[in-house]
Amino acid sequence: MSETTVSARPRRGRVSSRAWGVASGLAAAATPLILLTILVVLAIFAWRSVVWNGLGFFTSTKWNLGNLYGGSLVVRHGIAAPQGAEYGMLVFVTGTLLSSAIAIVLAVPVGIGVAVALTSFSPRGLATVVSFFVELLAGVPSVVFGLWGFTVLVPWIGATVGPGMSKVLGFIPFFGGQAQTGLGLLASGIVLAVMIVPIITAVSRDALAKVPRELLEQGRALGLTEWEIVRDLSLPVARPAVIGAVILGLGRALGETMAVLMVSGSAVNSLPHNLYSPISTMASTIAAQLDSAMTDATGMAVHALAELAVVLFLITVLVNLLVKRIVRTLEQSPVLLWAERETE
Amino acid sequence: MIREEDATGREHRDPGIVSLPEEPVDEPRANRAMFVLDGFDLYFGRAHILKGITLEIPSNQVTAIIGPSGCGKSSLLRSLNRMNDRVPGMRVEGKVLFEGDDVYGQSVDPVTLRRRVGMVFQRPTPFPMSIFDNVAYGPRLHGLAKRSELDRVVESSLRDAGLWDVVKDTLRKPATALSGGEQQRLCIARTLAVDPEVILLDEPTSALDPSATTRIEELLQRLAERYTIVIVTHNMQQAARVSEDTAFLLSGELVEFGPTDKIFRAPDDRRTEDYVTGRFG
Ligand SMILES: Nc1ncnc2c1ncn2[C@@H]1O[C@H](COP(=O)(O)OP(=O)(O)OP(=O)(O)O)[C@@H](O)[C@H]1O
Ligand SMILES: [Mg+2]
Repeated sequence: MSETTVSARPRRGRVSSRAWGVASGLAAAATPLILLTILVVLAIFAWRSVVWNGLGFFTSTKWNLGNLYGGSLVVRHGIAAPQGAEYGMLVFVTGTLLSSAIAIVLAVPVGIGVAVALTSFSPRGLATVVSFFVELLAGVPSVVFGLWGFTVLVPWIGATVGPGMSKVLGFIPFFGGQAQTGLGLLASGIVLAVMIVPIITAVSRDALAKVPRELLEQGRALGLTEWEIVRDLSLPVARPAVIGAVILGLGRALGETMAVLMVSGSAVNSLPHNLYSPISTMASTIAAQLDSAMTDATGMAVHALAELAVVLFLITVLVNLLVKRIVRTLEQSPVLLWAERETE
Repeated sequence: MIREEDATGREHRDPGIVSLPEEPVDEPRANRAMFVLDGFDLYFGRAHILKGITLEIPSNQVTAIIGPSGCGKSSLLRSLNRMNDRVPGMRVEGKVLFEGDDVYGQSVDPVTLRRRVGMVFQRPTPFPMSIFDNVAYGPRLHGLAKRSELDRVVESSLRDAGLWDVVKDTLRKPATALSGGEQQRLCIARTLAVDPEVILLDEPTSALDPSATTRIEELLQRLAERYTIVIVTHNMQQAARVSEDTAFLLSGELVEFGPTDKIFRAPDDRRTEDYVTGRFG
């Protein structure tokens, strides 16, 4: 009797712990598997475009779906596309990277700054209220930001900000030039920044709030000012999570579709030559052109958009790796290591 | 024997007992008062945490604060370097003087005060830096940037904390790699490096094993030659071993303050006696 119970118990424990191991292993593998599946399916779907376009896809700034209403076809490597069709990604890649870069440059200091202010420099009541709104803002659908950008930001850039910046900072490359409607690179960058500030703030704030209180107390007891505590204790400890927050924001900016579509000016066939130039991003182009691409009887337009999606996917991964790499390099340099600077 | 005599009158001072252990200790000391507390009250919101505390903490010796959990030992210690400032609803009445200056006065900057009154906590928490930088950090903030000077301060602080021989070859390693006792000595070295006048310690050995504890106790006695040391401890033997004066707190009141020998062998107050003999607490 007693023997069976004794021997049964650990066996059941072993089985359930093995099941648990398998389950958690599957769960851990799920995310990369899903990502990989999407990428493979997309790549297969894009294959006709890859073959038809060859290297031109990566080097051309021209994007033209060609004559979709009958007419003759252009056949390469046995694959047909409409007459006059041309698929080059450069305009969209440039628009995506530049608008996201502007967004990051604006949003990172603001986002981290607000997070620091909330955790270290504001009364608890105020911090709670502001945090609530930050989280609310992080959940607002992007089309709302787009509409705000279109109705408020764009006219303002066109009438005031653009001409002003052009006049004062016009000597810096990219800052000069006509602002025109206000639709374009700057508007896209700012809308993206406004969208990702709440993300960066919310994640950084959580990370900063998790820094052990004892550590901050010890800093205080050593006679550090609150600012020194933030700079040398809180931020270094929270740094991995804060970098994660920035990467999260960057991912959102690179992939944002709707909001950018509404304020970008939807440029085709021309690269931006200043901050106020109309642009298109990869994501917004895919969304905007899918409808007309579907009418392409050869299917090439949709395949080309799929290739654009694959490239966007790869760029997102690549940029994430690059950011991590840059941060690692900076960490070795004296810029971030304030505390270790010294003279001989 | 002593216990019986004391049991006769609670607050009654028995001159026969007072004169016994006190004399030899008291004579050569001749220390000045580093901290003077005069009718000091501390409130956290409505809670009255410390009640009318009056005592003098002499310089260049170890003073212990003992008492049951929650009686306000930490609060009292943290009142000395204004570490309670951020507690919501914190309010003080009465005076705390540090070398004659009112600690809670308008002109006192807590940041400056804390550089003169260092503090070591129960759980050692090294900063997220190398061992060297942990110790060099304070002096750097004070403007010391010369490499040779920093090297000297770091070495002497680590030597004083009894850690130099352990870490002298691994100064660039992260401080978190040290053992708990070593981390605590590193925290002491970090405090020493800014050259404070006072070191406050809040149960500094309660997270350490006996041999690490012994090392810290020996260290404190050595440091008392140059620094004023105030230690909160739950360990009666520790208080008896390291301190010259002991304050016994109960429910926010200072029940008794005097030479450690006397507090442990012939206290005036019945409650002190009950506590040090382990009858409650
Ligand atoms: N930050 C705080 N906010 C509110 N009340 C506090 C705070 N810190 C301490 N107290 C209260 O003050 C009283 C004294 O606490 P204190 O930490 O000084 O006791 P202690 O003697 O150090 O106890 P222990 O031996 O357990 O460390 C307790 O009743 C506690 O609840
Ligand atoms: Mg305590």
